[in-house]
Amino acid sequence: MNGPFSIANWRAWFNAAPLFMRGYGQTLLISLWGLVFALIIGILAGVALTGRNRPLKLFLRGYMSFFQNTPLMIQVFILYNVLPKLGVRMGVVTVGVVGLALYTGAYAADIVASAIRAVPWGQTEAAESQGLSRVQTLVFVILPQAVKVGLPSMTNQAVNLVKNSSIMAVIAGGELMYVADSWSGSNLIYGPTFVMTAVLYLTICLPISLFARWLEKRSVRNV
Amino acid sequence: MKQNLSRILTLALALMLVLTAFASAETVDPAIAAIQARGKLLVGVKADVPGFGYQELGGDFEGLEIDLAKKLAQKILGDPNKIEFTAVTAKTRGPLLDTGELDLILATFTIMPDRLLQYDFSAPYFVDAVGLLVKKDGGLASFADFDGKTVGVAQSSSTRAALEPAAEELGIKVEFLEFPTYPDIKAALDSGRVDCFSVDKAILTGYVDDTVVLLADSFNAQPYGAALKKGNAGLLAVVDELIAQLRASGEMDELMAKNDRPEVNWDEVDAYHESLWAEAEALAAQQ
Repeated sequence: MNGPFSIANWRAWFNAAPLFMRGYGQTLLISLWGLVFALIIGILAGVALTGRNRPLKLFLRGYMSFFQNTPLMIQVFILYNVLPKLGVRMGVVTVGVVGLALYTGAYAADIVASAIRAVPWGQTEAAESQGLSRVQTLVFVILPQAVKVGLPSMTNQAVNLVKNSSIMAVIAGGELMYVADSWSGSNLIYGPTFVMTAVLYLTICLPISLFARWLEKRSVRNV
Repeated sequence: MKQNLSRILTLALALMLVLTAFASAETVDPAIAAIQARGKLLVGVKADVPGFGYQELGGDFEGLEIDLAKKLAQKILGDPNKIEFTAVTAKTRGPLLDTGELDLILATFTIMPDRLLQYDFSAPYFVDAVGLLVKKDGGLASFADFDGKTVGVAQSSSTRAALEPAAEELGIKVEFLEFPTYPDIKAALDSGRVDCFSVDKAILTGYVDDTVVLLADSFNAQPYGAALKKGNAGLLAVVDELIAQLRASGEMDELMAKNDRPEVNWDEVDAYHESLWAEAEALAAQQ
């Protein structure tokens, strides 16, 4: 059989599979660290957004507006090609982690803030009436309830983050999409390449999605 | 007399039949017939490579490959303007051929042995050497200085395949980073992400400015060919015939001069051409 999906092409892809697994590892690495920092940014910024510090809130609104309303590709391009001219030189993995964390963090902050606001005001009043400080109220009363509300949307952001890591292909990121582009571009075997690349992304994203759905079902039951 | 007349008539009829049969035998190739029935040739070209395939904002396509496509339309349809150009990228050109949305690709497509297994390529119509573009203040004077350096190349280009053996011969270690477009590589060179921007020389000259310099080093020839879907033998034969005609008549050299392309050493092209197809056959036998 000839054509893009010929048996010879499939065989060629499986021979090159180790190369793709290295890219897969790089995707996992960038996504994992990106997610950790996105969560840190999201929680800190989300809490601050529900607080009373106006200048800080204004700054955070500015940050979120910029990162939510410009393409990730341009943000990554700036981190990769413009910052070195200003003396800030990050390795390509760091560029990926920082880019994905800032981008996803901007969305995570919104999720955290609205999850906190979803906890009834009476909970805060009750906590304060028991003599809890503002921080104690937040950590022991509000956040545990907010997590339930925000977790399903947060897992969706995690899935988006993994898929968005493919943007690294434009800056020679060495991750899965870069390997797919580079390998298939050279020998023109694109059929099996992009099918298998999609399958590999699926093996990361599908479990997260299923986890999100399970969480959602559970929270509906508990309401 | 009457008998004679009918004999002549019969003979004439027979002759006509034979002639029609010959004529239809010539156009029997279904791919050519489809193009003629459609009334236009569908060609994939580059839109961002001056001299080969370039499109001004919203304007007409121009360049060597555009001129070649027009000659082909003239040959098949009798009119150089019965043609529809589609801008292609490294990622779209393969699939567009496979789906049949394009008849052929004329887009600085380097003929390589492993690519010959996926698509049919015409005889080369251009050959170029790989060059090296470096920063003036980078301290790199020749490829021998490249030990530990990073070279930016284009995805789906054959530049890497040309440089790797040269690096091995010199006993130096060179790292390669691939980028989707030429401007991306230039940006990476400007920001110091790569030490060198390397593609075919004819393309590289378009990126020379005050801060960078083209080194004298030259590597393996990169022959460009028209790419067609496998098994499209009728159209491939016409393309090969056209290229042979243009070369023999000197028109090809005129087209090169018109589009400001460097002179081509055709003997070198032919020698390389043969070795590529032989390599592809060896590769196919391996699989």
